[in-house]
Amino acid sequence: MAVKSYDAIVVGSGITGGWAAKELTERGLRTLVLEAGGPIDPAKDYVEHVPPWQLHFRGWGDRKKIAREQPIQKHCYACDEWSGKFFVNDIENPYTFDAAQPFHWIRGRQVGGRSIMWGRQVYRWSDLDFEANLKDGHGTDWPIRYADIAPWYSYVERFIGISGERLGLAQLPDGEFLPPMPLNCAEVHVRDRLRGAFGGERVLTIGRCAILTQFHNGRAACHYCGTCERGCITHSYFNSLASTLPAGRKTGRLTLRPHSVVREVVYDAQRGRATGVRAVDALSGEELEFGARVVFLCASALESTRLLLLSKFADASGQLGRNLMDHTMGGGAGGTIPGYEDQWVYGNRPNGIYLPRFRNVKAQHPDFLRGYCFQGGAARSDWGRGNSMEGFGAGLKMALRTPGPWRMSFYGFGECLPNPENRVELDSQVKDKWGIPALRIQCVWRENERKMLQDMAVTAAEMLEASGATDISTFVQDNPPGLTIHEMGTARMGRDPATSVLNANNQCHDAPNVFVTDGACMASSANQNPSITYMALTARAAAFAVDQLKRGEL
Amino acid sequence: MLLAMGGAAALPAALPRIHIQVRGRPLHALGAHQAETVATIAELIIPATNTPGAREAQVPEFIDVILAEWYEDADKERFLAGLADVDERSRSLTGKPFIEAGEAVQVAVLKGMEAEAIALREADKQAPTHFWHRIKSLTLYGYYNSEPGNLQELKRPVLPGRFDPCLELGAARPGAL
Repeated sequence: MAVKSYDAIVVGSGITGGWAAKELTERGLRTLVLEAGGPIDPAKDYVEHVPPWQLHFRGWGDRKKIAREQPIQKHCYACDEWSGKFFVNDIENPYTFDAAQPFHWIRGRQVGGRSIMWGRQVYRWSDLDFEANLKDGHGTDWPIRYADIAPWYSYVERFIGISGERLGLAQLPDGEFLPPMPLNCAEVHVRDRLRGAFGGERVLTIGRCAILTQFHNGRAACHYCGTCERGCITHSYFNSLASTLPAGRKTGRLTLRPHSVVREVVYDAQRGRATGVRAVDALSGEELEFGARVVFLCASALESTRLLLLSKFADASGQLGRNLMDHTMGGGAGGTIPGYEDQWVYGNRPNGIYLPRFRNVKAQHPDFLRGYCFQGGAARSDWGRGNSMEGFGAGLKMALRTPGPWRMSFYGFGECLPNPENRVELDSQVKDKWGIPALRIQCVWRENERKMLQDMAVTAAEMLEASGATDISTFVQDNPPGLTIHEMGTARMGRDPATSVLNANNQCHDAPNVFVTDGACMASSANQNPSITYMALTARAAAFAVDQLKRGEL
Repeated sequence: MLLAMGGAAALPAALPRIHIQVRGRPLHALGAHQAETVATIAELIIPATNTPGAREAQVPEFIDVILAEWYEDADKERFLAGLADVDERSRSLTGKPFIEAGEAVQVAVLKGMEAEAIALREADKQAPTHFWHRIKSLTLYGYYNSEPGNLQELKRPVLPGRFDPCLELGAARPGAL
């Protein structure tokens, strides 16, 4: 087989693969991007403006088909009658876990990956996060600090466009923000009450999100239809399909090959270098091989680690596959905010409130390490409350024309400690549709995460009380790991090749021309939504790789 | 009509219509009498007022899709048995099937069922969902996710074009109290 060669190969075209493609091509490398899934045509595949009455099940989805083909993916809120096609077929893409310890692995295989239907929330880390492992001894020390990544956060933010409010908080650094989306009147009420009750300790702000509030880099401002996970024909939220991949294409040095399922990074043990990748064409089954001087794995945390496990060269540390993390979610509370009954919103804001971490920022909490944030917001209930109302007829219809009271909710997202026993391995029996060994995942929440979830319910209720809310109800959900879709770790960055898989530049200790820049590289999880950190690390690693190539050091 | 709101000028003129249309689909789970019974109940739950009601919103067609393709067989049978029970109740009062019994009797039948459903739920939280709660929730869902339910009743455009965080209620939804 004649092997076609490029300067660089990027595996994956999602949020990090797109950034690798943009940076490597703009810095002069002829780059091949291999995407396991098929192409997307926004004009045909985006469905954000398809109303429910044009759907066969008016939004309920084809329950029987989903039960057959997407028994895992269906747990994700966005995998519905509109967007279900952006999630994988679980039968074609199996993985295994102990039934008593479920892990919900939510996946998207298409050009753009999960950046098509991601949550779009973006928050910088601070040194409180980068120093956490060193200070409390869980995991190994990050080989970088905030100063190393801060300019790359700015670089990424300026390109993709982030709307948000500057707060000046040390634990949640400000970024390069476009004007923030507004809070509604009940959220403003809660924000002001919290200011009075908690001083500067608990601060409510609008979510920082990768959705444009004004024209930016050739893309239009949001038009507030509200369902970004179904696509966006005006490209107002960031995804790789509309931003980074076109930037790469503009250089004339990008080749994008969809339907290319990579099965192995080819490794030359003599030279200690990768020479390319082997793949299979998803449609024809044809075996493919491509050569490159440098390989970027951006296939998603667990897919990149699966590839390294299949390629058998990156595990001198014994840490490959270990320290799998996700964020805990679902401790919190809701309550009714009295008043403002003559006020409502117009349009659908695809964003909520954010309340940055306040636990273990200054004083140490007695029950747990690290911390959590809250997301959520206030809304007036609509026709859905008719189900629990008595009566029918014109009276019911008129009553439902008027929205119900304002309900404010706080929904917590917590940090997960790195633990080597939370891990993935290759399953000895199960293979995917293309004959590639599947992953076996073992991951559970432990005491620190559980205690944090309990505390979320307590502090959320405190804040609702301080806001004058009534009918406060608390909750502590038991969501399985994976479902937050912030799975990360399993090929961590570190200072020591004996205890980590990647170095400070996302380079494999065991193969310096292999870079892993998606969530696999994370040495801890913090509590912030992670995508912006993956993007910044990818841009930084790509610049480093090209610099090294130019110096002849790769 | 969907594109009449401001701010949507940059959007394509035609919405993608790639999904199966429900309109004009023959019924698969409900016979003609059953469909008319469902339509009569749904219209009593959400009647036409100054906006269309459940019948015009094609709620019976939606319910037929759910019965034929979404429900498990046992749930479908339970629903159809509930429908037959509506006729039984009507016959015991007037000797006529529900759809011929006149509105006063129809309302009385539904009120009787509602009282029973509420009592059942209060007595046993685990009890299977009563027919009344099923048809009411199907009707509300189908109606408020229909074209007239969204655009005329809820005044909820597909393309708002802007976000206003704090608007007088009457301006956000004309006709709301």
